[in-house]
Amino acid sequence: MVDITLNQNSKLGSIDRPNSYIGRSLTRDGAIRHLEGGGKFVDDLILPRMVNSAFLRSPYAHAEIKSINISDAQKYPGVIDIFLSEHIDTVCKPWIGVLSHLGEMRSPEQSPLAKKIARWQGEAIAIVIANTRAQAEDAIEAIEVDWVEKEPQINMETALDKDTVVIHKELGNNLFWTRTVEQGDVKKAFKESSTIVEATLDFARHTGVTLETRGIVADWDKSEKKMSIYHNGQAPHMMQHIIAKHFDISEGLVRVISKDVGGSFGIKVHVYGDEMAAIAASKILGRPVKFVADRLESFTTDIHARCHKISGKLGVDKNGKFLSMEINDLSGIGPYSMYPRTSAIETNQVLNLSGSPYIIPNYKAVGTVVFQNKTPMCQYRAVGHPIAVAITEVLVDKAAKKIGMKVEDIRKINFIPDDQYPNKTPSGVPLEDLSHQATMNKLLKIMNVPDLEKQKKLDLEKGILTGIGIISMCEVTNPSPLFYGVGGAHISSQDGASIRLEGSGAVHVSSSITEQGQGTEAIMKQIAADQLGVSMDTIRLTLGDTDATPYGGGTWASRGAGIGGEAVLKAARTLKNNILKIASAIMQTDIDTIDIANNSVIRKNGGEGISLKKLAETVYYRGHEIPQGTNPELIATSSFYIEGIPFVFTNSAMGCQVTVDQDTGLIKINKFWVIEDCGTQINPKLVEEQIRGGVIQGIGGALYEECVYDDQGNMQNATMADYLVPMACEMPDIIVDHVITNSGRSILGAKGAGEAGTGGAPAVIMNAINDALSSMNKEVTSQPITPEKILKAIGKI
Amino acid sequence: MGKGGEEFIMKSPDFCYYEALSIEDAIKFKSNDLESVILAGGQSLVPALNMRLSSPSCLIDISKIKELKNITKDNDFIYIGSAVTHSEVMQNKIIIDHLPVLIDVLDMVAHPAIRNKGTHGGSIAYGDPAAELPAFAVAANAEIILMGLNGIRTIQASDFYHGLFETDIQNDEILTSIKYPILKDNQKILFDEIYRRHGDYAMAGVVANIEILNNEINNLKLVFFATGTKPEVALKTSELIIKDGYDYSNVKNMIKTELDFESDLNSNAEMKLHLATILTNKILKLMET
Ligand SMILES: Cc1cc2nc3c(=O)[nH]c(=O)nc-3n(C[C@H](O)[C@H](O)[C@H](O)COP(=O)(O)OP(=O)(O)OC[C@H]3O[C@@H](n4cnc5c(N)ncnc54)[C@H](O)[C@@H]3O)c2cc1C
Repeated sequence: MVDITLNQNSKLGSIDRPNSYIGRSLTRDGAIRHLEGGGKFVDDLILPRMVNSAFLRSPYAHAEIKSINISDAQKYPGVIDIFLSEHIDTVCKPWIGVLSHLGEMRSPEQSPLAKKIARWQGEAIAIVIANTRAQAEDAIEAIEVDWVEKEPQINMETALDKDTVVIHKELGNNLFWTRTVEQGDVKKAFKESSTIVEATLDFARHTGVTLETRGIVADWDKSEKKMSIYHNGQAPHMMQHIIAKHFDISEGLVRVISKDVGGSFGIKVHVYGDEMAAIAASKILGRPVKFVADRLESFTTDIHARCHKISGKLGVDKNGKFLSMEINDLSGIGPYSMYPRTSAIETNQVLNLSGSPYIIPNYKAVGTVVFQNKTPMCQYRAVGHPIAVAITEVLVDKAAKKIGMKVEDIRKINFIPDDQYPNKTPSGVPLEDLSHQATMNKLLKIMNVPDLEKQKKLDLEKGILTGIGIISMCEVTNPSPLFYGVGGAHISSQDGASIRLEGSGAVHVSSSITEQGQGTEAIMKQIAADQLGVSMDTIRLTLGDTDATPYGGGTWASRGAGIGGEAVLKAARTLKNNILKIASAIMQTDIDTIDIANNSVIRKNGGEGISLKKLAETVYYRGHEIPQGTNPELIATSSFYIEGIPFVFTNSAMGCQVTVDQDTGLIKINKFWVIEDCGTQINPKLVEEQIRGGVIQGIGGALYEECVYDDQGNMQNATMADYLVPMACEMPDIIVDHVITNSGRSILGAKGAGEAGTGGAPAVIMNAINDALSSMNKEVTSQPITPEKILKAIGKI
Repeated sequence: MGKGGEEFIMKSPDFCYYEALSIEDAIKFKSNDLESVILAGGQSLVPALNMRLSSPSCLIDISKIKELKNITKDNDFIYIGSAVTHSEVMQNKIIIDHLPVLIDVLDMVAHPAIRNKGTHGGSIAYGDPAAELPAFAVAANAEIILMGLNGIRTIQASDFYHGLFETDIQNDEILTSIKYPILKDNQKILFDEIYRRHGDYAMAGVVANIEILNNEINNLKLVFFATGTKPEVALKTSELIIKDGYDYSNVKNMIKTELDFESDLNSNAEMKLHLATILTNKILKLMET
């Protein structure tokens, strides 16, 4: 692993100056705190007068609630109150999960608790408030519900058929949203193609499985009319806005605090009915209410993702040049579109991103999103990417094999060349600062493909099926206001940072970005210390508190470094300039002759400087010593958002080698390689952790993870024993290396790195497995690729 | 109200906790309170309580009873006390010297943290159809020693398992130890399983007890787990192999007629049959070496 990024961004100054922390693999201090068990999570919080809660949830995927009798349950020991939808609705207004900028979306109003009809197994029906969680669960067992089961709508493929049950009568059918993207003339181009390949791929539903489950403590203070929310979420300011809006509280009187978060992966950036019901209960009771999901609740109520069936077609000419691509994607999202981001975005990303590394002049993509009686589906790490990348890269491999070209060569001749940016995806989305050629060349070199091919041949002679896969991909990071804001959602694309020099010489930074375990704290500190010229130990940081940090979007869409980091950089530069102005007045010298290094203002040509501690003391306690008229501003605040383009894209190339056991169907990933281009790396070790963690989550989707449902809509494997997440013993070595193309949209030049691994791994694994099966002329097309699917594909069972 | 502390931690239905001082003490408590259950390592029981799959009146903790924590040996048998943990078995000198295959088996049981708490007797008594130890006990011709109000009784492991999580333990009884015959010089126990993730319950597994005479299989007992509702002995298949040697298609048909395969989330019945056949194949290959 590299300690220092090779290609330092010249806008940041030289790497060998004092306090140059950007680009260094420093150990993050939060890691030790967590290792020592010092984390403070929502469930650790105990407030005076706090009560606990648990939910009665629908045991059926689709059922009418004829009546609910809570009178026995109310008498149970420790029970304080029980609320149904009609009670909660008196303090909380319903919501609708639609946006306005992507064509018509149709989703009905949703309240925290189900009214009359439950539409998925696990939907909350009643909230029991009791002194302890155990008492609340005892009482749940005593609530009598007269259920009338309704036929569930489970299968997305028949959702729009005439005789299918319609989940929301008022909508007339089960269609949520559909979109068509078209560039060029696809029909004509397919006619002109000398070779056309086709594929249909299935992606099972899976979910994020955060180590820390969703949790909230809501504390309504009647006297101040203030709602304090302790929430393990990703976007405190978004939650502040939503809670204010739906509970009719002035926005300034809602405080959202999100401290340690044990993983989020996009699971914790949505509005959940149970959390809203807990807030409502606090507002009604006037005391703090805690809700922390148990693992069963996580599996049946945390958003699910994927659940796509996609078919695609790629037309190429005699030389292997891509002429035309067409895809048709179907996705099932459960009974409601999630709020406020909607459940259309995964499909939208599939339409936007398919084919994105390549020049494909004619492109058509159709997406259809339908309702089902299953857990709601929404944005999870690498939204849409696994589907878009897999359909593209599977088709590319097929085309290469069909016309007898090497899989790397067909990619090379079709890439958008590195020197031809700005450019556009086949769907028309602007791209800039990408490096598919450079990353692929570097990948092929470190993989040593000829050696791998030789080994594959030798293995085959011994009857061992080995396969090699490669892919290229784009990753969406750092969204601009054109992502959600334009569609009417109050989701900030801006982030803010504030930085101040304190009387002791310590530097305090606050940022609207939050920490979920990925090391945000470390990179914010590195940027601040680097840009200010102070040592790391002088920096303290506050994140995740709407009362204490600048306003901003929070952590999602791999935007922490690129957007939040740039705000810190700008604030640090402004503060530095302020300090230098004051110092030049005190030191009676021109501002150009001084700089800050090692916690002191220094004279560039030598001579005595002044420590920041001393300078701060002078400003705060002995201002009379400073010439009059000097603006003593030792605090600076900055904001940043991406302008002019919808996203800052990044790109990567990945490869892997797998062995498929013909007897058992088990797949072993022998080795995995990633070349990532995320622009400036603030902390290469943390970038690589993101890549590796992302790849492992991608391996989960490719080989293990699936929310298994029976035909009545009951989730069958909602425990950690039955739902298989990838585990350390099965994980391959993941070799990570980099190409660095800085983003031109910021001084920092950083793009995102959080999602590429998850987006690319499923495609490269599928390609490698199908390469292994190609000697038998067989293929697999459905993820997760289980041993059973392999054995079926090769005719063993 | 808002007391904090432990009250906030509990999730299961309320129960009382009783730390038994001796085997007799535990039996007495259990026969006086039929709604009470034995708590050994808690690795299967406690999750079930938290998921509210059961709500016993009382947990009788036997993990501190000294007599249940011994591993001993005489001329013909090894005795493993029911409250000995998996980790303790793996580090025990008697086991290392006289039944080392059990260590390989336990290496496939969960992960170190769970093996540090989970007990030998707990696993045998619980009788998960996908668990390794019940099948191992059946294949090794072990005897299960139970103690109740009427004293001690002994039952063959193969008779101990009745059906899905159903065993021969009576309401007043406690499983006190497992008695393994010491292997003869010409006898071997071989073990293999197919799993998707290390430490998971298997998709299918086999334990084979083999006796060799003049380089030929003289005796064979194949026991499968994770294939049906309990450990299953494939007697006829074993006999067929002794008689005719190994033949994939023949063995597959034989296993198919002899055993009932039950689908689970990781593999359907057809897959399990296939894997059981593959495992038999592998075991016999292993035997040749
Ligand atoms: C994540 C995980 C993975 C696992 N993977 C595996 C695996 O791969 N293979 C495997 O075999 N096991 C696995 N296990 C189970 C583990 O081996 C347990 O140790 C075992 O199932 C139960 O042992 P215990 O001592 O914890 O029993 P407990 O949980 O305390 O008790 C289990 C049941 O047996 C009864 N009981 C226990 N002891 C006695 C006794 N002496 N007399 C009468 N009744 C008794 C109890 O009343 C209870 O009903 C796993 C467990 C976990 C949590």
